Amino acid sequence: MLFSSITFLYLFLPVTILLYFAMPHRGRNLVLLAASLLFYAWGEPVNVLLMLLQIVVTYVLLWLAERCRDKRAAGIFYILSVLLPFAALFYFKYFNFFMDTVFRVKTRSIALPIGISFYTFQIASYCVDVYKGRVERQKNLITYAAYVTLFPQLVAGPIVRYSEIERTLTRGADFSNLRRTFGGGVVRFAVGLGKKVLIANVIGEFVAEVAALGQRSVALSWAYAAAVSLQIYFDFSGYSDMAIGLGGMFGFSFPENFRYPFISRSVSEFWRRWHITLGAWFRDYVYIPMGGNRVSTARWMWNILVVWLFTGLWHGAGWNFITWGLLFAVLLVLEKGAARLSGGRKDARDAKDPGRGLVLYAVSKVLRHAYVVLVILVSFLVFHNDSLSGAAADIQALAGFGSRIAQDAQSTDHTVYAYMLRNRVVVLWVGLIGSTPFPMWVWTRVRDRLENSKIGSVAVCALRVVMAAGLLVLCTAYLIDGSFNPFLYFRF
Amino acid sequence: MEDGKWRSYLVVYVFVFCLAGVMAVLLISPKEAVSGAERRRLASKPSLTWENVLDKSFMEDTETYLLDHFPFRDGLRRIKALFTYDVLQQKENNAIYVAGGHASKLEYPLNEASIKRLADKMKALRQQYFPKQAVWYAVVPDKNYFLAEKNGYPSMDYGRMVRLLSQEFAAESDFCYIDLMSGLTIDDYYRTDTHWRQERILSVAHHIAEAMGTGSAMIFSEESRADDTAHQIADFYGVYYGQAALPMEPDTIVYLTNEVTDAAQVWSLEENLLGGADAGKAVMPGQDGAVQKPVYQPEKLADPLSLDKYDVFVGGASSLQVISSPGSLTDRRLIVFRDSYMSSLAPLLLGVYREITLIDLRYIDSKRIGEYVDFADADILFLYNTTIVNHAEMLK
Repeated sequence: MLFSSITFLYLFLPVTILLYFAMPHRGRNLVLLAASLLFYAWGEPVNVLLMLLQIVVTYVLLWLAERCRDKRAAGIFYILSVLLPFAALFYFKYFNFFMDTVFRVKTRSIALPIGISFYTFQIASYCVDVYKGRVERQKNLITYAAYVTLFPQLVAGPIVRYSEIERTLTRGADFSNLRRTFGGGVVRFAVGLGKKVLIANVIGEFVAEVAALGQRSVALSWAYAAAVSLQIYFDFSGYSDMAIGLGGMFGFSFPENFRYPFISRSVSEFWRRWHITLGAWFRDYVYIPMGGNRVSTARWMWNILVVWLFTGLWHGAGWNFITWGLLFAVLLVLEKGAARLSGGRKDARDAKDPGRGLVLYAVSKVLRHAYVVLVILVSFLVFHNDSLSGAAADIQALAGFGSRIAQDAQSTDHTVYAYMLRNRVVVLWVGLIGSTPFPMWVWTRVRDRLENSKIGSVAVCALRVVMAAGLLVLCTAYLIDGSFNPFLYFRF
Repeated sequence: MEDGKWRSYLVVYVFVFCLAGVMAVLLISPKEAVSGAERRRLASKPSLTWENVLDKSFMEDTETYLLDHFPFRDGLRRIKALFTYDVLQQKENNAIYVAGGHASKLEYPLNEASIKRLADKMKALRQQYFPKQAVWYAVVPDKNYFLAEKNGYPSMDYGRMVRLLSQEFAAESDFCYIDLMSGLTIDDYYRTDTHWRQERILSVAHHIAEAMGTGSAMIFSEESRADDTAHQIADFYGVYYGQAALPMEPDTIVYLTNEVTDAAQVWSLEENLLGGADAGKAVMPGQDGAVQKPVYQPEKLADPLSLDKYDVFVGGASSLQVISSPGSLTDRRLIVFRDSYMSSLAPLLLGVYREITLIDLRYIDSKRIGEYVDFADADILFLYNTTIVNHAEMLK
């Protein structure tokens, strides 16, 4: 089920909220589990059984591991509890690609269950954490199943670890705080819905229109590259906002997944701001166990390469995703290598260095930001395209050559290019500004100033209500007038 | 309630009230079968079966059903349209734009493969059904021809479209082009609809008749039309009005009647098809039991199954129609491969043709028309609007 669907917004959600809060504490996880299974089965009526099977199998394996007195046997159960979900993930997501790439054998296409990458990672992190003793094994199957299937973040993240929501799952939501978290969750959900429906989908229409053209001008190629990046960002961060907002409504505190990644001044910083929970997962469960950066330089570079190969593959079984991951691996190695060579001086220290001067500092800031923007534009063209040749053509078009650039464009073609840009220029600007902290900075200043007085704080409250209600009405209007538009990250 | 606490609850209550309230209205409100504004039938309630659930059609149909029957649907669509135009400053909504008081649908770029496909289809039809007869063809410009370039919107290269079509028939001397584009203006079209206005295309009818050798100036002159009665149908909201969802004044449909049109009768294949063992066969015009109707069918306005007031012209969309005109000045027959633009033009030609056959290849396979139509000695005309020329794949 899509968050941005009438079925979810006006049937599933109100019924689930009413049932959840009408139920005594002990029954709430059961309500969440039932609602989550319905939510998932709405899109995957058969594969919901696969998810349930994985939950039961890992529950039993951890139970066996805990009861087992033989350490080796217990270890085998722990290993199986991690391997089996990954085996399922491999089969459904990578088997066709693997057979085609390694053995050059075309196999029958296997449909990818929605959200399998997300819930596999959640199950694996839980099993590893139990093994490491970071969390206690959840003895209640319903509570464990509610954790894995929790509908707000089931199909597209953020990737929530058991330790992050264990308290709410086991002891219930903190109701003294709920009026604040629910209210905040509503606003966050509405903002996420707006990001998805009003920005990502509209920019997505522009992306589809330009892609359908075949050939384009250089200016349109740059706008297209920017639109691709903005569409992916608003689609995914919008979903994360909705997930975090829904979590808040039910008393859960989910981790942040995005922190304005497009303002980054290095690729390392970008990945500390983009899909934060995935990066943290790979850091904690792959990179650090491999030794992280506390190894030889060659081994450290190998670690980065492996992590980013997996990061690319996590997004999909395709050469474009592998290339995308490896591109970041190379850039990260270069950046970290450069930082090591320069002694890892920090920006602030550079600024204070009287030899460099403020102008030089400002120029370096701009240049570093420009470099990251260029990397983002190019990398997301690779990410967005189904084939590497298509990505190469889109990247060549940025430089003004290749098959995408219209060499013998007629005046009617130029009218089309100019029209397409004019038609979407406002939403592209909205996207560009909306991807920076500027709107939040403005809101925070307005709120802080108003909340100094009693009438001002009433105005802030009214503004929040009007904004949330307005976004809900507007998004509903778009959904009614529009067509089916699934989230991009569902395919992962 | 302590100071400030109610404010925290306000967002919660408004949100839950909105969702639950809309859900209640959604569930209990009476459901319409047809959307007047969008001129389409609305989705019916999906049936819950194991098969429907497993193949996910139940879920998809439920979403469609809820979207179609959402409370205040038309109002919400208007909100979206206004936001799109006024806030996002988009030049169109659902590919419909409004310029100079006219709504029009964007259509670009020129699909050259489609032009070839159409030409091949026309040649194949000639080869199969009327190899020795002369053939005329004409292209009706869509409203972008008049509006797009002037208002900064992209459009097809209409000149190239006609040139390419002519090139396709360069080796076929019996294909004659009738130019309609130069004689029309934007005022000849409804403001809210795609179609041209019958009362404004008398010169088009004259031009076609003249080109095909049946043009009697008298039939189309002002004096001869003095006896015509102009009937008006007010509050006509055309197809673009529904799609644009913007506030626009309605059009008025005017249709012209006279003794000739009053005497004419329309036979439609769909209304005369036989069932049972004779499935596929039809009661042909003139045979006992044939269903024939008047050329203008204002009763369509009250027909809940009729979604379009434009259906008043020869009863609307049909795969095959035969209009018999006993009041014609000649005994000639005309066979037209056509789209909906011909529906309002055909009655104007009844004075010079004893019988006009209208074939819409969007609804009937071209291989089947030989079962119902005799092409011998008839004048043959292909008349399509530019949108069909650009999307010839829809012709069977």
